[in-house]
Amino acid sequence: MPAPAPSFRDPAGCCCSFNGRVLRFVAAEAVSEFEKFLQTNCARQFIAEKKIVSTRRLSEGETATLRESPELQPVFNARPIGAVFEHERIPFPSYPHEWPAEMLWDAGRLTLEFAQSALADGFGLKDATPHNILFRGSEPVFIDVLSFERRISGDPIWKPEAQFIRTFLLPLMSHRLWNMQPADVFFTHRDGLEPEEIYRWCGPLERFKPRTLSLVSIPTWLSRKASPDDQKIYQPHLLANTEKARFILESLFKRLERTLDSLKPVAQKNSVWSDYMATHSYDDPAFAAKEKFVNEALREFKPARVLDAGANTGHFSALAAQAGAEVVAVDLDAVCAGAIWRRAREQKLNILPLVLNLARPSPALGWRNGECPSFLDRAAGAFDGVLMLALIHHLLVTERIPLEEIPRLAHDVTNSLLVIEFVEPKDDMFRRLTRGREHLHAALDVKMFEQACAPYFEIVRSLALPGTQRRMYCLKRKGGAH
Amino acid sequence: MVGLLFNLMIIAYIDPGLGALLWQTIIAAFVGFVFYLKKTRRWIVDVFRKMFERGQKPPGVGIEIHPPEVEVKIDAR
Repeated sequence: MPAPAPSFRDPAGCCCSFNGRVLRFVAAEAVSEFEKFLQTNCARQFIAEKKIVSTRRLSEGETATLRESPELQPVFNARPIGAVFEHERIPFPSYPHEWPAEMLWDAGRLTLEFAQSALADGFGLKDATPHNILFRGSEPVFIDVLSFERRISGDPIWKPEAQFIRTFLLPLMSHRLWNMQPADVFFTHRDGLEPEEIYRWCGPLERFKPRTLSLVSIPTWLSRKASPDDQKIYQPHLLANTEKARFILESLFKRLERTLDSLKPVAQKNSVWSDYMATHSYDDPAFAAKEKFVNEALREFKPARVLDAGANTGHFSALAAQAGAEVVAVDLDAVCAGAIWRRAREQKLNILPLVLNLARPSPALGWRNGECPSFLDRAAGAFDGVLMLALIHHLLVTERIPLEEIPRLAHDVTNSLLVIEFVEPKDDMFRRLTRGREHLHAALDVKMFEQACAPYFEIVRSLALPGTQRRMYCLKRKGGAH
Repeated sequence: MVGLLFNLMIIAYIDPGLGALLWQTIIAAFVGFVFYLKKTRRWIVDVFRKMFERGQKPPGVGIEIHPPEVEVKIDAR
């Protein structure tokens, strides 16, 4: 078994996944405060509301067993561990570089809510990064419980403010101004965007707009004037009047909340694919037949976890969620993923939308590629059903993926069901994508497709969609589950 | 207190920024001034309210009047 990759930035402890369990190793000097936080009203309330992962302290016996595991020796040897806690497991971990801007905004809102609420119990957040958050369906969940620390009551400064600006506000501002996606930021910038960086991108007029002035221009000018060697800047300035310190902090959080609200991604934005459901090439009977086919497959196989690959605005993800599945809906179009998130929140559907190109899935990221596992590592065997609807021609034509690779990928991901829509080269959308390269796919037909699927899946049934050049397939994985 | 502060400084590990931290400090100073303005305003309002309430009270206000205790006897006959 490969050694678990523990988190390492926080000196108060680390977290890692081990044998399917999520374990948090807390340094001896931090255990007492950590447990006190878990007893506070706000922690109890947020755990009850499922906004923070549920956490339990392992018994001495359980901890002793872990100490004997050779894979965990580096974790126990790195620092004196006072206690080990176990968190609930979030079904499918996702990272900021896979979220649409809507989810980044939502994660920011939750971070501020915690920072404000914990004040009443004398605690605060010591960091404010989207990496503290995972999504359960479309709902954000705070996972880095060790991020809460006791605040000094006279301290009016919230040091993580700069990190909150770098990792939430500036990426959302870049999205608003230049349609930059979280993926554009977080693939290369773990800790978000620096004000100085945004300042260079802004025109002279933009620099003087109130929001830019406060988040970007003034911090940039101040950092140019200040001496970077002046350590006094970073020393806490405690106030004797704790009521005043609290007033200043509350006013800071209100200000950040107002700024975050002003950066909420706009719903009406369109993209190349966001109006696909209104403009697709099916007539009503064909679409109804497709819907019925998918519904029947979902009813028959009852998959608990479904991956909807190429989900568009999530019509079929919603069908799967309504059938009781936990759905991960991926689409390369961030506007579509944002629309799915809104739909899932409005209709309370268990759908996790991600911005992801299946032909270029997220790679492993972070130190030694160990901090954020790749999408395919997380997806392997993680689903009972995969939907690949109106996707195959995009993979074949646009991405030039070999036909036999497509069922092979589905075989890696699903434990049981694959519902796939085969699109013939004569189809209008197929021809629109080929742009004069029809000869490349001249031999492609139903028989060739079925042959490509044969090593990995057996055909349960298929259906030609009336009036189209498309055929639906319900396939069952060969060799059983992973 | 010093111990707690020392402990927190060890655990604080994120980059607090430079310009953003200075800007937050400047705003904090301004908001601190607003805090005193609000407090002074509240004090003045309270003083006037108390004066007004004292001036408006009709004679007898503040004296508690207890109703006489009446024993109710019910004749069972």
